[in-house]
Amino acid sequence: MLPFRLPMIPPVRAVPDARPAAADRPLGFRELFRRLDSVRLVTRGFVDLRTRGRLLQHLVGTDLKRTHADTVVGQLWWLIDPFFSMAIYSILVTVVFQRSIADAPLFLFAAILPWQWFQTSLQDATTSVTGRGNLIRQIQFPKLVLPAASTVAGTLTFFFGLLSLALLYLLYPGRLSLWLLTIPVIAAVQFVFTLALGILFSALNTFYRDVQNLLRHATRIWFYMSPAIYAASDLKGSAFSYVLALNPFTYILTSYRNVAYYNRPPDFVALAVVLALSLVLLAFSIWVFKRLETGFAKIL
Amino acid sequence: MPPSPYAVDVRDLGIRYNLNLTRRTTLKGSLAEWVGRKQQVGRHFWALRHVNFRIEHGESLGILGPNGAGKSTLLLALAGILAPDEGSVTMSGRVSSLLTLGAGFEMEISGRENIFLIGGFMGIRHRVMLELSPSIIEFAGIGAFIDAPVRTYSSGMRARLGFAIATAIAPDILLLDEVLGTGDEEFRGRSQQRIREMVARAKAIVLVTHDLSTVTEFCNRAILMELGQVLFEGSPQDTVEFYRERVQERKRRLAEAAPEPLAPAPPPAVLSPPTVLPPPALLDQPAS
Repeated sequence: MLPFRLPMIPPVRAVPDARPAAADRPLGFRELFRRLDSVRLVTRGFVDLRTRGRLLQHLVGTDLKRTHADTVVGQLWWLIDPFFSMAIYSILVTVVFQRSIADAPLFLFAAILPWQWFQTSLQDATTSVTGRGNLIRQIQFPKLVLPAASTVAGTLTFFFGLLSLALLYLLYPGRLSLWLLTIPVIAAVQFVFTLALGILFSALNTFYRDVQNLLRHATRIWFYMSPAIYAASDLKGSAFSYVLALNPFTYILTSYRNVAYYNRPPDFVALAVVLALSLVLLAFSIWVFKRLETGFAKIL
Repeated sequence: MPPSPYAVDVRDLGIRYNLNLTRRTTLKGSLAEWVGRKQQVGRHFWALRHVNFRIEHGESLGILGPNGAGKSTLLLALAGILAPDEGSVTMSGRVSSLLTLGAGFEMEISGRENIFLIGGFMGIRHRVMLELSPSIIEFAGIGAFIDAPVRTYSSGMRARLGFAIATAIAPDILLLDEVLGTGDEEFRGRSQQRIREMVARAKAIVLVTHDLSTVTEFCNRAILMELGQVLFEGSPQDTVEFYRERVQERKRRLAEAAPEPLAPAPPPAVLSPPTVLPPPALLDQPAS
């Protein structure tokens, strides 16, 4: 037994709190301080994404390779997948529901392709943080890159899917128009919206795994409440049209269909509104994510 | 801010786990609590509390303690993976941690691609990774497998690649958690050689291990942790001795407090004879 303890450095017990107590601070300043703090969090989130561009690139590459690894036709599934869903919905709408839509495959494809991008990206992003618990407990890195990479990977898949849309025009050459060139603009709006929701849900899902389960059903309901297998104009005057009016995907999908099917310009004004709201949502999502980020390693 | 004289400065560190959340919360439980306004007091667990120590440049600190003492949590806090709930951790210099090796690999992509992916996670510039990757591949020594998906690797190969990546960049402050025995005899020799090189180059080292001789060999100071607190701090020899005596003491007390030997187990219950299930009834009996 040692006769004495050997404290090499005297322990420092209480570190005085540098901040004054909440009540001591002037009232207005407190509010301002809190607001500035939030702004700082959001800007730091954007910095995270900007400075880790290369990591984002590697992650996107990984995601793309992982999706169709070990399949016979490999990357061709990016073209085949949308064709199958288009065929299924074509049969559903024209044969089962007996709706006569001119050039139904193109009508449906123009909306289903972007919708599937939204759905898969959002689902992948939501589970992107929980799926990398091992890594998060090993290396300190900005976790924001995880949902962002899932969304970017989904976006690339969507652009590959556009090739199958191009093939479809071999059947309907009369529906080709120059407005198709505005698809990247519509896609940009959708990208911001998807990214914002993906970041928010990935943070919440880390704490509540219910989010990923709820999301499966919610996106399904959302799909039928969006003008994907029908046109928004079909429901004019019905009570349901108010639901459609509040749904950002009404404007996004209608814009896609305008340029791909009706030879019409997209609804630029509505898209601008959706973009503005999506940017606000994005800032909010990044704020929530950065607030919760420090807790990820503890609960994964 | 003037440069800190300490490589590692831990003051009054506390890490708290919320037992509600670590239980894999469901929304229902939280809603019920929120609606019922149940008090959440006492649902926290302090994995570390009031931990104070400093490491000067050139020092090497060993951390000893039984399982659950908070040693690994401490390393996670030093690596910046866990944020302190109380107090502060200040590290001056680049920190590298050799925690659980190779657990973060992406299974579907090749080892080579994983090198760059993990390098990206570690925040190493791509240009640097391009320079480092040949030496990483050579050190891992897994041959042609480097271009095969990691899913096809044996656990030993994964550990070797993980070790090679984690030790590719010599850090200023090295955190080690029981990694001195990786792979086969040949690789273990090389990895210990590399650890020795890193130890020689690092400005400070924190080593967690159960192997007491490692502490006396590598460290010039050691602390003993128990239940999230620092119990003893001193030279490695003193700390190891103190730890040994404590373990002995505990064993003796356990032996004294041990109750009578357990009564013999009751004979196993006689199994009931197997019940014979009736043949399954067919829903649609074919018309005969």
